[in-house]
Amino acid sequence: MPPAIETVDLVKDYGELRALQELSLTVEKGEFFGLLGPNGAGKTTFINTLVGLVRKTDGEARVFGADVETEYREARDAIGLAPQEFNVDRFFPIKEVLMHKAGYHGVPEDEASDRADEVLKRVGIYDKRHERFDWLSGGMKRRLLLARALVTEPDLLILDEPTAGVDVQLRHDLWELVTELNDEGTTILLTTHYIEEAERLCDRVAIMNEGRKVTVATPDELKRRGTDTISVTLESPPTTTPDVGPYAHEASVVGDRLDVRVDDGGSTAPQLLNDLEAAGHEIADLEITRTSLEEIFVDLTKREDRSVTRSDASSDESGDAGAGRNGESSGRGRNESAEREQEGIA
Amino acid sequence: MFSVGFRSLFRRELLRFVRRPKNTFMPPAITNVLYFAVFGVILGGRIDEPVPGIGYILFLIPGLVVLGTISNAFENASFSIFHGRWNEYIHETLTSPLSYVEMVFAYVAASAVRGLIVGVIIAIIGRLFVPISVENGLFLVATMIVVAALFSGLGIIGGLVARDFDDLTVMNQFILRPLVFFGAVFYSLTMLDPLWQYVSLLNPMVYMVDSVRYGLLGYSDMLEIAPAAYAAVAPLLSLAVLTALTAVVLAIDVYLFKIGYGLTD
Repeated sequence: MPPAIETVDLVKDYGELRALQELSLTVEKGEFFGLLGPNGAGKTTFINTLVGLVRKTDGEARVFGADVETEYREARDAIGLAPQEFNVDRFFPIKEVLMHKAGYHGVPEDEASDRADEVLKRVGIYDKRHERFDWLSGGMKRRLLLARALVTEPDLLILDEPTAGVDVQLRHDLWELVTELNDEGTTILLTTHYIEEAERLCDRVAIMNEGRKVTVATPDELKRRGTDTISVTLESPPTTTPDVGPYAHEASVVGDRLDVRVDDGGSTAPQLLNDLEAAGHEIADLEITRTSLEEIFVDLTKREDRSVTRSDASSDESGDAGAGRNGESSGRGRNESAEREQEGIA
Repeated sequence: MFSVGFRSLFRRELLRFVRRPKNTFMPPAITNVLYFAVFGVILGGRIDEPVPGIGYILFLIPGLVVLGTISNAFENASFSIFHGRWNEYIHETLTSPLSYVEMVFAYVAASAVRGLIVGVIIAIIGRLFVPISVENGLFLVATMIVVAALFSGLGIIGGLVARDFDDLTVMNQFILRPLVFFGAVFYSLTMLDPLWQYVSLLNPMVYMVDSVRYGLLGYSDMLEIAPAAYAAVAPLLSLAVLTALTAVVLAIDVYLFKIGYGLTD
């Protein structure tokens, strides 16, 4: 069974600007895959290359084994896209918009009508079916984009920042719906700025920056790449920062609290406490804080911006889908991070 | 023969203009009533028959039918493509499994239908002013279909090339309309000096207007001014050249869709 998405050295140039830099990425069938990255990272360019709204400059891109340019009909038939922009036909009531879209995908009129009703009910705007797009509220418009993507019953659902600017209730509704779809077997590719969203929904995420894949990992793997902070409250505020062991990346004192940054807070805390007690400090309280995925994301993309050279990035990109390769990438990333932190860069 | 996808897009395009008759059919109807009233009745009453046996109103009808047909076919295709690009809802089509040929043919077919409907409306209005009997029906129908398809295909190019709505206006008002007005709509080529007759032959509209006039009235300027050896086949040759030109334009449309000109980044 071919992967849902497979790109190899995918390149897209806009004049002098290289929007996608030899991007190799694999999304397996049935996966819930997240694409994370700052604005301009190339997420939407990547998606638009798959659906035919951007023509690639070089490399390969396939959807369920179908080349997106030479076998574009098969590739596009498999995809349902809910884009960022409200690119909906304003001339027709929304039910007809959905019927047209289904029709373009070869669904006969009667069936298209049934499907349109069904997806409108599913996203909760069935009672608006005779309205035109412009008369819908912002949240309803977002729901309609999802309905339009679903009306063709795609095997691959692509959601380009579906929850941008929507309220909490709608965000949760959308999460619930796409989770159901994924459980039913639909492969999902989600781009988002919300780390919480990726953490909550995705099996794996790719972090992109400046058209390049920084890393691919599960949310848990990514979080393990971050450091923990052990905050120890001391009975007597120290005058200088206590001397702690080599396990600490950084230590600082704020009042009577000592913050120590380590790789693994759980396993390092007993050692730290022993060292502090041996140095004559009395411990009043202890707290361990894990780095959030958001902080790791910011750290990874910031590091890319600052110092990763093209060849460095290429070698990191080799850690695509395999867990072992990811592991290598993860270890290397952590070491680099530690080195930079010690140098006071990160 | 026609896929569900093609029929869906064709239907969508038809419904877009059929449901808005005030925007699509009323304006040409009113304009042509004015043309017939002013040029045909008021001024035409003072103008001799441009060619023997054919009154001025009758002579005007084929030209006005062509003018209305090509303007509307061009306008529909260019607007549909450009408006879809402008608001990006053409992405609904572009991200579908429709082939590029199906996309182009659906847009062209629907626009040609609009042009032909307007042509028929104008002919009916003309009929209110003067009796008409169609002389070469088959030839007329073939010519009208080819002309409507040709300008629908050109409209697609216009819609892809345009960068804003002003560009569409420029194409229609400053290119199409002058060519049609100097395309022997309101006068016969036989009324011109030989030099201007030959200059007029460089205008492609002349052949369209003349072919439709031949189909409707059985009269062709070409038959009058062309060399004797060529005269016998003049209308058919015009139709053949127009058909070939239409095929070329449609091929360009498909090519532009394929490379995503004006449609993709």
